Amino acid sequence: MPPRLLLAVLLAAAAAPALADRPRVVVDSPDFRPLPVAVPALLAAGDAAGADEATGVLRADLALSGLFDVLDPRGYLAEAGEGLAAPAIRFGRWTSVGAEGLVKARVKREAGGLAADLKIFDVPAAREVLQRGVSAPDPRALGHALADEVVRFYGGEAGVFRTRIVAVRRNRELRELVLFDADGRNPRVLLSESALLLMPAWHPDGDRILVTSYRGGRPELWVYRLSDRSFKKLPTGHVTMGGAFSPDGRQVAFTVADGSDTDIWVASADGTGARRLTNSPALDLSPAWSPDGRRIAFVSDRVGTPQLFTMNADGSNQKRLTFQGNYNQTPQWSPRGDLIAFTARDERRVFDVFVVGVETGRIQRITQDQGRTNEEPSWAPNGRLLAFTSDRGGVPQLVVSDAKGDRQQVTSAGGELATPAWGPRAAE
Amino acid sequence: MSAAAASPLAATDRLWPAVVISVAAHVALFVVASAARPPVVESASQRPIQARLVRLGQERPKELLPRKEPEAPPAAQPEAPPAPPQATAAPPATPGKAGPTAPAKAAAPGATKAGPAAPGTRPSGSRLSSVLSQLSQEIREGSPDGDPLGEASQAEGDQYLAAVVQTLRRSYRLPATIPERERQALSGTLLLHVDREGKITSFEFTRKSGNPVFDEALERAVRQTRLPPPPAAQREIYQRGVEVDFRI
Repeated sequence: MPPRLLLAVLLAAAAAPALADRPRVVVDSPDFRPLPVAVPALLAAGDAAGADEATGVLRADLALSGLFDVLDPRGYLAEAGEGLAAPAIRFGRWTSVGAEGLVKARVKREAGGLAADLKIFDVPAAREVLQRGVSAPDPRALGHALADEVVRFYGGEAGVFRTRIVAVRRNRELRELVLFDADGRNPRVLLSESALLLMPAWHPDGDRILVTSYRGGRPELWVYRLSDRSFKKLPTGHVTMGGAFSPDGRQVAFTVADGSDTDIWVASADGTGARRLTNSPALDLSPAWSPDGRRIAFVSDRVGTPQLFTMNADGSNQKRLTFQGNYNQTPQWSPRGDLIAFTARDERRVFDVFVVGVETGRIQRITQDQGRTNEEPSWAPNGRLLAFTSDRGGVPQLVVSDAKGDRQQVTSAGGELATPAWGPRAAE
Repeated sequence: MSAAAASPLAATDRLWPAVVISVAAHVALFVVASAARPPVVESASQRPIQARLVRLGQERPKELLPRKEPEAPPAAQPEAPPAPPQATAAPPATPGKAGPTAPAKAAAPGATKAGPAAPGTRPSGSRLSSVLSQLSQEIREGSPDGDPLGEASQAEGDQYLAAVVQTLRRSYRLPATIPERERQALSGTLLLHVDREGKITSFEFTRKSGNPVFDEALERAVRQTRLPPPPAAQREIYQRGVEVDFRI
């Protein structure tokens, strides 16, 4: 190497230690700002009724999704007859109310229900960015279907507003299995029993619902089918308290009560071939499958207090997950795999909903100072919303919330609600 | 020696190795000296650090379940509109949000042009008094020797850098519609030059993210930020620049 070049290299090397001292930090956890969208009232063509109801459902769903800031319609400046064609829309008026997205649709009647011509506009660019036809049997369903389309367009993944939540409602002396829309409204009674009903759980086919029933005089697993409204026992041969179908629908994990001991067993989805997974003298219960079907979360009090544990689906590698609190129950594994939601009693003897990171063990709180009992969380299929019950209004009712508890929507359906379970998306 | 003295060029040829060795020795001395010097900014060279200011309060026993940071009072009635945005465990709000000029988080309905929080200014009288009134209302958890404007219940890292992180985070906003699968990969690094008063005199990207929406949001965040003044002993270091790694 020529001596002058070597000199230059050495002098540069001398400067390097000065650069190495630069301070460096990480800034994470940005504030994800919802996109401001305007949703003017849906237009009704001909004698189509229900456009207003569909508008209300659409607006509420978009706000619940967490992706959008639905601007107050009372502030809209555009004229009612503006229509759906981009050249006729005065985008300046939408910009002045702060909109970046604009959602419009015209509803008309068709055989079997309603159809809507949906259009989404990019307000700053002043052009149409989506046009799609959407059909549904009734105005509520149409609102949910439109919300799913808008969420899919902006967020890039399928929405959950056409899914349903099932819960048990105590109505005087009766126990009812009740179906709700994803927004917690529109209750429909599936079953009405004098015997106790507990802990429903969906099959991934969206048709079968596993329920613990005392119809036979003792707690056993039964299966309700939405398609034919049948209600049949699942013959595992054991006294069982609660169960869950695996994500592929081929197996069912359940809690067997044997005297004062409980343990977790697994069987084929038709109840045959039952075999034991846990075998400790302590109480082991409440199995919840991971979304890949390889692991099961459960509750055990083998360390003295009820805590969350995980194990492989064959029962091996049982290890403790929660190390805070002394009464942790009802685990449910997020469909995104990273979090498990659960109910816990805190030091003030209040029950609240929490989530724990599966890999980190870090616990975050979802509800606080919102009634004395918030419990039994269940995840929406996109892992972004939770359904649970809360007694903040006096009696336990259904709450639909985002995954951090920042936006919670309480609904009121009479009676006392328990153990909600959020159903899967329909196969497309 | 007599042969060498006869030709000046020959003498220069023999001189170069000596020059090179001398420079190398000096460089080695410089390197040893700067390595031996105690690091001016503790634990900050090259390795990015997480930094949080500890809040003034009582230590919370570790075996208890966590509590959320209190912000606005939660909605008590069932049919009330969704509770005002509560701070979560990961970027908790500063006590200043309870004050009269509470900056609107974008989740509020209606036009959201209220603008970001007054970036990184010294605590004003109204902010300090709202902090003190909040302290008296609720037992805050943190550390007995923490800071009234701290946010976390556990301390981490250098105190000025923690203030830098906290101030930048207040302006760090992204549209919620960025799809999840794109979010994890998003990260960019900027070099900020900070003057003695905490003003960011200039900045440049040392690493862009590849996503123009994200890069634009980072530029916006930096432009809207006024940092607290750096410690006197480190003014030159911060004038040369602090690297900020923005991630999700």
